[in-house]
Amino acid sequence: MARLNEVLEKLRQILPADTLSFRDPSRTGTSCCARVGLDRVREVASIFARGGFFLESLTGLDFQDSKELVYHFNTYEPGARVAVRVLCPHGEAAPTLSDLFRSASWQEREVWEFFGIPFAGHPDLRPLLLPEDADFHPLTKTFGVVNAYRKREEIYG
Amino acid sequence: MAEQFRKPVVDQIYTLNLGPQHPSTHGVLRMLLDLDGEYIVKADPTIGYGHRGHEKMGENRTYKQFMPNTSRMDYLSGMLYNHGFALAVEKLAGIEVPARARYIRVICAELNRISSHLLWFGTYVMDLGGFTPFLYAFDDRERILDLLDRVSGSRLTYSYCRFGGVARDVDSGFVEGTRSFLQRLRSRFPDYHSLVTENVIFIYRTRGVGVVPAELARQYGVTGPNLRACGIAYDVRKVEPYEVYDRFEFEVPVGVNGDALDRYNVRLAEMEQSCRIIEQALDQLPPGPYLNEKAPFRVRPPKGEVYQAFESARGLTAYYLVSDGSACPYRCHIRVPSFGNLHVLEEVLKGTLVADAISILGSIDVVVPEIDR
Repeated sequence: MARLNEVLEKLRQILPADTLSFRDPSRTGTSCCARVGLDRVREVASIFARGGFFLESLTGLDFQDSKELVYHFNTYEPGARVAVRVLCPHGEAAPTLSDLFRSASWQEREVWEFFGIPFAGHPDLRPLLLPEDADFHPLTKTFGVVNAYRKREEIYG
Repeated sequence: MAEQFRKPVVDQIYTLNLGPQHPSTHGVLRMLLDLDGEYIVKADPTIGYGHRGHEKMGENRTYKQFMPNTSRMDYLSGMLYNHGFALAVEKLAGIEVPARARYIRVICAELNRISSHLLWFGTYVMDLGGFTPFLYAFDDRERILDLLDRVSGSRLTYSYCRFGGVARDVDSGFVEGTRSFLQRLRSRFPDYHSLVTENVIFIYRTRGVGVVPAELARQYGVTGPNLRACGIAYDVRKVEPYEVYDRFEFEVPVGVNGDALDRYNVRLAEMEQSCRIIEQALDQLPPGPYLNEKAPFRVRPPKGEVYQAFESARGLTAYYLVSDGSACPYRCHIRVPSFGNLHVLEEVLKGTLVADAISILGSIDVVVPEIDR
């Protein structure tokens, strides 16, 4: 837990206390969830990068009122997974983390092609899994068969 | 014109298409290699030929309907993917699992892990030019497939787990069959070692080849045997034990240098550890129901989300499910280990020989359909 506590200590210094919420990792899989604004993503991510974490997963969520990026950082310790949630309004770009985590360059390409969230500063935003001429974003809730298209507060409210 | 011919040969970078001739070729991975003579300057994996939109399908199917999809992502460890998905939904919906079902799942999952490693062992050695070990490995793997076929009715895409248990109970024939298989497999390990591990040609083709330093592995999110070969004992079964893995004694084999030989040794040692787990699980296998009868027929988890990580044959895999309270997940993301394991190659392959590239590619053990999803 040493690395996690070190990182949490630094996060507390830069983030307001109410943006950090602690959870039971045996129920949710993450021990902590941090809500971060688009302008501070890089600052937060560099704390994880320096703290010896890796970017385990990066994915998006599409809601009527906004899009959301969910980063999962983890390190080789029990219960160290931290979720970082970033609201990203429709049509806005998120900052790239590909210089902090090498894996982010593919993960961001994937989020870009599936959710249509561009990453500012990314060196090579070609589609990764979709055909190279794909001009659609299949995991947005306005594409193809969709079961429900909700507002964020309907799930997390 | 003449100037062009006088240029030194080393300046000529040419691109080699290392990959399938046809999209139906198994495990379609295409690499664009920029070569300077025999040396690789740049490697760019081109993936996505097997993209089927599993995540999209997950969002407009009910939880139960998505179960068959899970075993088709990594078709070599379908049982492990079934298992992880069942765990995720059970956690999200708060479904209890009877003890017997937990043990059955662990036994089947570890059998599947061995079969996946055996297939890797066979094909890897075949990639390096040894055909005989492939036949040995497939002979043993076939027996695992028979065992899993007996309980699940399928050889590869099992869909055996249910929310709250497993589809059907195991009988004494399966238990006895598994015990005799373990005995047989253990007697085969010495053959494997004398055929391959001690083979000098094999050693020269793997030792010091494709070294992944621990820091590079962290940067790319490499997990599983590839990470453990770098000397980091990170195994989800130990670090965040799910199911009943905390009740078994087993070790996490690690390597030292992070080269192809270490990755090979780690996987072979892992098979022996899986045998240990299965043996203990068979000894402890409790009587009782194999399925929670009270589990809801139509699963409607409360609003919320879950991130369920588990150790598949290739590393840390996770389901990230967001529920909006309806019968279908609002978001169904799958974190696959091969994604990072393949991505790291763009760095590892730089400056290596083309002949070594084959060895490195094989030693990483990627299953491309799981990346493509």
